[in-house]
Amino acid sequence: MRYAAALMGLFLMTFAVASADAAEPLSKRFAEPTGEAAPSFRRHVVPLMSHLGCSGRACHGSFQGRGGFQLSLFGYDFKKDHAALIGKTTSEDSDAKEFPTRINAKDPDESLILLKPTLGEKHGGKQVISEDAWEYNLIRRWIAAGAKMDVEATGTFDRLTVEPSEIVFDRPGQKVQLRVIAHWADGTVEDVTEISRFRTNDESIAQISEEGLVESKTKGDTHVVAFYDNGVAPVPVMLPVSKLVGSKHPKVDTRTKVDELVVQKLRKVGIVPSGVADDATFLRRVRLDLTGSLPTAAEARAFLDDKSKDKRARKIDELLKTPEYAAWWTTKFNDWTGASATQVSDRNFRTEQARQWYDWVNKRIAQNKPYDEIVAGIVLATSRTSPDQDYEAYATEMSSYVKAEGAADFAERPNMPHYWARRNMRQPEERALSFSYAFLGVRLQCAQCHKHPFDQWTQQDFKQFQAFFEPIYFGTPRADRDAYNKMQNELNKSVGYDPKNRNAKNAAQKRREMYEETKRRALAGEPIPWQELQVQPLKKLTAKEREQLIKRKGKKYAGRVITPRVLGGDEMVSAQYDDPRAPLMDWLRHENPYFAKAFVNRVWANHFGRGIVEPADDLNLANPPSNAALFDYLADGFVASGYDMRWLHREILNSDTYQRDWRTNDTNELDESNFSRAMVRRIHGEVVADAIRIATFADDKAAEFVSNIEYRTIGPSAGYGRYGRNAPGAYAANLFGKPVRETTCDCERTTDPTLLQTIFMRNDQEVLASIDGKDGWVASLRPQRKGSVKDDPRYKKRAAELKERLKKAPKKDQARLKASYKRQLDYYARELAKPSGGIRDDVNVDRLIEDVFLRTVARYPSADERKLAKQTIDESESQLDGVRDLLWAMLNTKEFIVNH
Amino acid sequence: MATHTFCDGIQRRDFLRFGALTGVGLGLTNYLQLAEAGQVNAKARGKSAIFIRLAGGPTHMDTFDCKPDAPDTHRGEFKEIATNVKGIRISEHLPKLAKCADKFTILRGVSHTLAAHRLGSQYLNTGNRPLPSLQFPAYGAVVSKELMGDPDLPPFVAVPNQGDNPTGYLGVEYGPFATGSTPRAGQSMRIRGVSLGSGVTVDDVNRRQDLLRKFDTAFDGDLYNDKTIAGLNKFDQRAYAMLRSKKTRDAFDLSKESEAIKTRFNESGFAQSCMLATRLVESGVRFVTVNYGGWDTHNDNFNRLKTRNLPELDSGLSGLFTSLADKGLLDTTSVFVTGEFGRTPKINARGGRDHYPRAMFCLLAGGGMAGGRVVGASDAKGEGPKNEAIKPDDVAATFYHSLGIDHTKEYHTPSGRPVMIVRDGTVIKDAFA
Repeated sequence: MRYAAALMGLFLMTFAVASADAAEPLSKRFAEPTGEAAPSFRRHVVPLMSHLGCSGRACHGSFQGRGGFQLSLFGYDFKKDHAALIGKTTSEDSDAKEFPTRINAKDPDESLILLKPTLGEKHGGKQVISEDAWEYNLIRRWIAAGAKMDVEATGTFDRLTVEPSEIVFDRPGQKVQLRVIAHWADGTVEDVTEISRFRTNDESIAQISEEGLVESKTKGDTHVVAFYDNGVAPVPVMLPVSKLVGSKHPKVDTRTKVDELVVQKLRKVGIVPSGVADDATFLRRVRLDLTGSLPTAAEARAFLDDKSKDKRARKIDELLKTPEYAAWWTTKFNDWTGASATQVSDRNFRTEQARQWYDWVNKRIAQNKPYDEIVAGIVLATSRTSPDQDYEAYATEMSSYVKAEGAADFAERPNMPHYWARRNMRQPEERALSFSYAFLGVRLQCAQCHKHPFDQWTQQDFKQFQAFFEPIYFGTPRADRDAYNKMQNELNKSVGYDPKNRNAKNAAQKRREMYEETKRRALAGEPIPWQELQVQPLKKLTAKEREQLIKRKGKKYAGRVITPRVLGGDEMVSAQYDDPRAPLMDWLRHENPYFAKAFVNRVWANHFGRGIVEPADDLNLANPPSNAALFDYLADGFVASGYDMRWLHREILNSDTYQRDWRTNDTNELDESNFSRAMVRRIHGEVVADAIRIATFADDKAAEFVSNIEYRTIGPSAGYGRYGRNAPGAYAANLFGKPVRETTCDCERTTDPTLLQTIFMRNDQEVLASIDGKDGWVASLRPQRKGSVKDDPRYKKRAAELKERLKKAPKKDQARLKASYKRQLDYYARELAKPSGGIRDDVNVDRLIEDVFLRTVARYPSADERKLAKQTIDESESQLDGVRDLLWAMLNTKEFIVNH
Repeated sequence: MATHTFCDGIQRRDFLRFGALTGVGLGLTNYLQLAEAGQVNAKARGKSAIFIRLAGGPTHMDTFDCKPDAPDTHRGEFKEIATNVKGIRISEHLPKLAKCADKFTILRGVSHTLAAHRLGSQYLNTGNRPLPSLQFPAYGAVVSKELMGDPDLPPFVAVPNQGDNPTGYLGVEYGPFATGSTPRAGQSMRIRGVSLGSGVTVDDVNRRQDLLRKFDTAFDGDLYNDKTIAGLNKFDQRAYAMLRSKKTRDAFDLSKESEAIKTRFNESGFAQSCMLATRLVESGVRFVTVNYGGWDTHNDNFNRLKTRNLPELDSGLSGLFTSLADKGLLDTTSVFVTGEFGRTPKINARGGRDHYPRAMFCLLAGGGMAGGRVVGASDAKGEGPKNEAIKPDDVAATFYHSLGIDHTKEYHTPSGRPVMIVRDGTVIKDAFA
């Protein structure tokens, strides 16, 4: 076993412990029913109840409690838990019922808290401990010493360390016991192994018992995690995949720093990476990942035929400057921030505002503005573009962006207020959740109601963080309410709508008219009563104001009286800032542990189908990166580059790690987290929708479509949601997992295959029509008609017949019939224009076969495939039918629908 | 059919005409993880289910919970009639349902507090009070996860759609196969992707499948265990089976139904959708949602009900119950009919009724549940539950129970949060025979 060094550390550790007593396991220290040392409520009793499962979700940690006894879930609300034990409710929780005390100070053995788990009294949770167990004695001695609450006395928890700090097994079935040491700010150091909770992040690789005994199961690497108080300590565990570890690992070229760091880890785990993929695979992969677009046949041909050595790096640079690169990353950015027509603030201008949002972000990504600047433009946004802009001027400005003719460009605005104005972000807690998700990649949902089970966050952390968002307000302007009302009243009056008389017979009609008039004025560029985003400076409330606030708005607003504190950071002295978002933004930019990493991890996940931390939006202590050195290198580099997004893409995409083959070897076929091979992934919803069109459009049309983002599903309509569901490609994009942007989770975007997706590709009218469309490549292969259809004798004959019939028809039917005959004739002309099935004389069938492969899978066909394709075309009723079938077949291959 | 605009102006959707974009059928997980044996209670009689969503919120006072003794301000203009079950009386505009009241149970005094369409719908369509942090799955998604379906057919069909985010935390693979349109009398429905397009024959499907097999070889041999590739291979086989299957096409073809059954349904889109639902269940589809809007009667409540909604509802539901019974399917098919709330007992100045979640009705039928019963009651003026309220959670628990699904079973959300299928429900014992 290879943790001798770790064991050394453990010895040193023991020497470092101040009191030899404290280093002893709790089972020894509290082995006897009585003794001098009194157990601590916070340090021992609560963790023990958690370790034993008492405060678990299925038992007393349930929100209803169990058997009239309720503990805080995952045990971090010490006051409440103490109160529950001694039979008093906390004063804040006035709704709670009175419960009997579970403590008998005079005769500790008669305490319910000891009688129940030993079955001295009936217990729904069966027997948990026996009367002679140290756990029993620990609780007994705490009761005997007065059952004191000591959360203040114990002070701040400092950190958790675990020995060994890493485990490398060499065969399945091996076991290692963890030792968990708690460090308190007051210098106390304790072995808390016996009252910690443990978890494995992959039980197929390593299991861990409730006592912290780790057992190797199969090859691979993962982490086991120890939890105590609000400490979380992950320990890497691995069983190398092969004997090829350390010096036995074959030499692998490491051209870049990314490669070096990835191979470093592979060497440790005994994984040999796959080779570098061929040019065709690289081109298709980088096109799909970086720009959300399939390469056109022409682009693929040019790239494959290019013999220069640096063509991959040049291609990456070229793609970073395309409109579709900016479009794809705007789409991703807007996924995270929830840009959606359903959630924008103004009911009259849903798609317009969704588009404004898109344009604003898109412009900056296209210019490669630093990532932190883009975020600042959103985080610090206010509706008014300057402090001295009055309401009327503001309202006129907002109308100028939606003006029907000569509208101003919203993207020119210095900032973008739609994020804070989102309908599903009106509550401070919604903002806290959305903000931490979007910009920190941290999921705080759990801590909203209880201590986060796998991370350090407590409910108090959540409340203090939420306090930043309470002064942010969106609605009718507070300072200029009069100006707003004046404008609204005038509008109401102009159509005769009386909002006070809702029951008037025509009230609904009048209200509609008022909305229509509002819309008309805005389209004309006139001011309308736009709502606005404002921030009220934080102020200290007096005790009375605080009481009133809680009375009026409920306890969740108590945050207003809580000092805002950034997650895991410092408290902000509120009065110093007019706008609490300013210190929040400062915190993002300076030494923030999450901000850069959240973006780096999402970019990595986009390019590899998996984050360095996975799920990509779940950065938490118990979910460590699979390669910490790599993660730090990229995040530090990103900050050092001045948050240059193109730098980050280049750094990743130019590595061999990104360019590896998907074909596996014996050591890496099961690897998903160490990036030793490319992973096969179904392409994203919008990308599928557009790829079908790129693959089927005629050459010139395809080239134009790729970069004309106006028509792309990753273009300005990407946030239209259900208001854009009839747009071309919208059905396919949704079917293949485009997110609706309603929840704070990257998992809303899915790449799981489903049956209906396969049915869509096989047989949906949309796909079949793309293949056969008038702008399609298949249509472009038809022989050009010599002359117009109208010169065709068959057309002339038909026209003459209809003319004759029209003459004979009764006069009153003339107009109707004329239109009808015209339609019939047009239809006939279209039918005649349809090809006989041949293809143009000037195209070569071999080249067509190449084209089918290049347009769908961006590679040349193999010799066998050429032969098979030729045979298919020869055996078809017509050559055109053969080419059409071939294109259909290639669109339906797995090779088309996945990125590999 | 009219376009229904909800009063809050937010949801504009013609429930019976436009397709949702969310239609997604069978998912990967169904295949890669076969239904776990022993999870489903073998004693339950329901094997399939039909969920009828009356979107907009139908009034309870003018349908299944009439208050003939309430004051003029509340009562409304409709009279009550007797049914074929002694003691149960319903609105005079539901005469056909009155003749088969022994087939279903009326729940009265169902009550909650969410008076907005979206929130109320989320509550009643999932059995869970909406939370901002979590989207719950619709019944059909849970049922397609828990019960396997016929391999030639999608397990969950929505006519024409299921509405917002039907799969919640379960993920799209459990989503409905949305028909996108409402069936028309005597016609075969064209279902997106399943109906063969003009000129396409089963021979064409076969020919192209052969061709595809020749070219789809890039991952043969390698990546045998890859989840994505394995999933795509499975769906390839299923899609091919479905496209060739006469059974699939016939299930959607109403013209294939017998005359005796056809005459029970009038020509309205809703009644035809009900007939389609019975055919789909008969063919082996596990879960069918029929989404029927137009119940948001803030204005002109009585006229709209008696001329359109109630005749359509009467024909559709009575046809559904009696056809299922005559085909011998009612005992194995659980039916749940509900809106998102009731409507104000007091009639407003525009002759309408407004949103009212404090008192509403639901109907349950089949799947071993009793018929010819009234469970629960509202007070004298229909303003709230008379005794203890029935929660939407309880109705959902009962619906699942009839299908042998334990509503307290826990799933894990993608972020690892454990959550019960129905978080706060109790099975209503009185609903069972």
